[in-house]
Amino acid sequence: MDLTEDEVTQILKWIEDSNFDELDLIMGEIKLVVKKRRDGSAVKEEVAGKAPTQAGVPEPAGMEAGKEKSLCDVHGMKGRAEESLEEGLSAIRSPMLGTFYRCPAPGAPPYVEVGSFVEEGDTVCLIEVMKVFNAVKAGVKGCIAKIFPETGQLVEYGQTLFFVSPDDRIQKKEKHEKNFQAPGG
Amino acid sequence: MANRGEIAVRIIRACRELGIKSVAAVSEADKDSMAAKIADRAICIGPARPTESYLRADILLCAARGTGCDAIHPGYGFLAEQPDLAELCRQHGVIFIGPSPESLRQMGNKLLARETVRHYSVPVIPGSGKVRDVKEAYGMAEKMGYPILIKASAGGGGKGIKFVMGPEELKVTFETAAAEARMAFGDETLYFERFFSNVRHIEVQIVADRSGNVIHVGERDCSMQRRYQKMIEEAPAPSLSDRQREEIRQAGVTIAREMKYESLGTVEFIFDQNTKQFYFLEMNTRIQVEHPVSEMISGIDLVKEQIRIAADEPLPWSQSEVQLTGHAIECRINAETPELGFQPCPGRIEQWVEPQGTGIRVDSHCYSGYFISPYYDSLMAKVITLGMDRSEAIERMRSALEGFVVTGIDTTIPFLRDIFHQPDYIKGQVHTRWIEEFLDSPPSSGGEEEGPPFQEAR
Repeated sequence: MDLTEDEVTQILKWIEDSNFDELDLIMGEIKLVVKKRRDGSAVKEEVAGKAPTQAGVPEPAGMEAGKEKSLCDVHGMKGRAEESLEEGLSAIRSPMLGTFYRCPAPGAPPYVEVGSFVEEGDTVCLIEVMKVFNAVKAGVKGCIAKIFPETGQLVEYGQTLFFVSPDDRIQKKEKHEKNFQAPGG
Repeated sequence: MANRGEIAVRIIRACRELGIKSVAAVSEADKDSMAAKIADRAICIGPARPTESYLRADILLCAARGTGCDAIHPGYGFLAEQPDLAELCRQHGVIFIGPSPESLRQMGNKLLARETVRHYSVPVIPGSGKVRDVKEAYGMAEKMGYPILIKASAGGGGKGIKFVMGPEELKVTFETAAAEARMAFGDETLYFERFFSNVRHIEVQIVADRSGNVIHVGERDCSMQRRYQKMIEEAPAPSLSDRQREEIRQAGVTIAREMKYESLGTVEFIFDQNTKQFYFLEMNTRIQVEHPVSEMISGIDLVKEQIRIAADEPLPWSQSEVQLTGHAIECRINAETPELGFQPCPGRIEQWVEPQGTGIRVDSHCYSGYFISPYYDSLMAKVITLGMDRSEAIERMRSALEGFVVTGIDTTIPFLRDIFHQPDYIKGQVHTRWIEEFLDSPPSSGGEEEGPPFQEAR
């Protein structure tokens, strides 16, 4: 079963106009999670692949992960867990040690939120080393499924920053219609 | 802890004894290292390549501040003697466990160091100032007389040195030396030194606090070198008379005091065995690989003392309270294949069994199953033995080397075992080129009992 682009747009519109904050929709192999932002616009989290057949709220990607501990955790320091990858998700890892920033400037909106759609070349965050800010590119295409560090946090080289859920249907549809864009992207 | 390998382990242990928490800054290749395991915390600073990790002063400082460190220990090598890290630390209020950036600059530039020491009325190896080009090189070499050594001003620690036998070699060697210096150090400044054929390498261990107290912890003899890289070190130096020993120690203290040096340092000299004259070679502004031999005969923990000095504590003893007893020898165990010109031999260690016994100490970061990375130097361990006298230290070293089991990779252990049976070494009749001559034309068998001499193993 496939959702057409029009249907997705329609669903987003319904939610936006509704009094509901969140929608979890499971149809066969498709799982669609839509959450409203504080400003009222709908944010979509679409997880591709085989959806769990049992009913219930699908876990956001990577929530129950975390078996693979980072070096910091090994020594019992308060840790940024480097969560193990769930099947079908890609990780964006830190290309350097430095301070993590989600926004281009203080007070500016973040580069990405959970649910944002990113292209390979999109900037997802900044890493600062001694006042030099380095833009981190997504490197993969898809939806941001989880954001690990918080702004101002020290991240190690190779630490997982984001999980990205690649979505074939969105990519295909995009080719047909340029206007389609995941809200919040 | 902005370093790796055995020295990182050594320093982390010293911190623990002092009740100081440590963070090991590790590259991706060192995530499983002993330092990462034993530190209170480990943080990955970058990829294996040193230029992207251990040589990045900015990242190291960022890691230190981000993990709440108030001091950085640079170890040896990497950034230990680069003024950049020390300077950045000063700017950002992090303590650099080492001397001031000024001292690092003064002694890091070998031409400037020679100039400085000459002012302190300490004899310096006869040589030139900066030699600009080939034409100047010919003139200077004629004046000094062959053979000569061409040295890079930005070199040091045995790097950037070329030997010139006669005028026919000068042009090519000079040009190569300049090109190599530019590549290796980003500075092609060269100078000449007179070449001495029968010298020993003697160095004085200096400890100086931040209140101007300077003492020495005796001298070490590091004449057992191969291509200017030390292999075996010992303390005290066996070749000196009491008067020469005292003179050379005082020369070291004078240099450190005059330049207002703080922290640990080593003043290196060459000692001409023909004329019994010593000359200043260079100063190493850091903890040295061979520091344990001085620790063994003095009972002083130099690394702990270095950390205390950085915390502004005064020296706890005067010169007369430093008692040197016994004789200590250190061997460097490298992952190298002696039969292939000591070519590095990285790989996975299958079995690693360190020797034990009275008067035997092993400083190492290796263990069974540890992978020796090709990205870094090949030092795996240092075996140090202490005896009542030199012959007991040698006996214990033989026993230690026999008992050291390393499988899976090649090591310098078989070669070192052979050296400790060589009559020249046992009698103390060596010089800085002895190992090279020995390798070129080994004396017919080692002369003593057990174990096949190294050469037969070829």
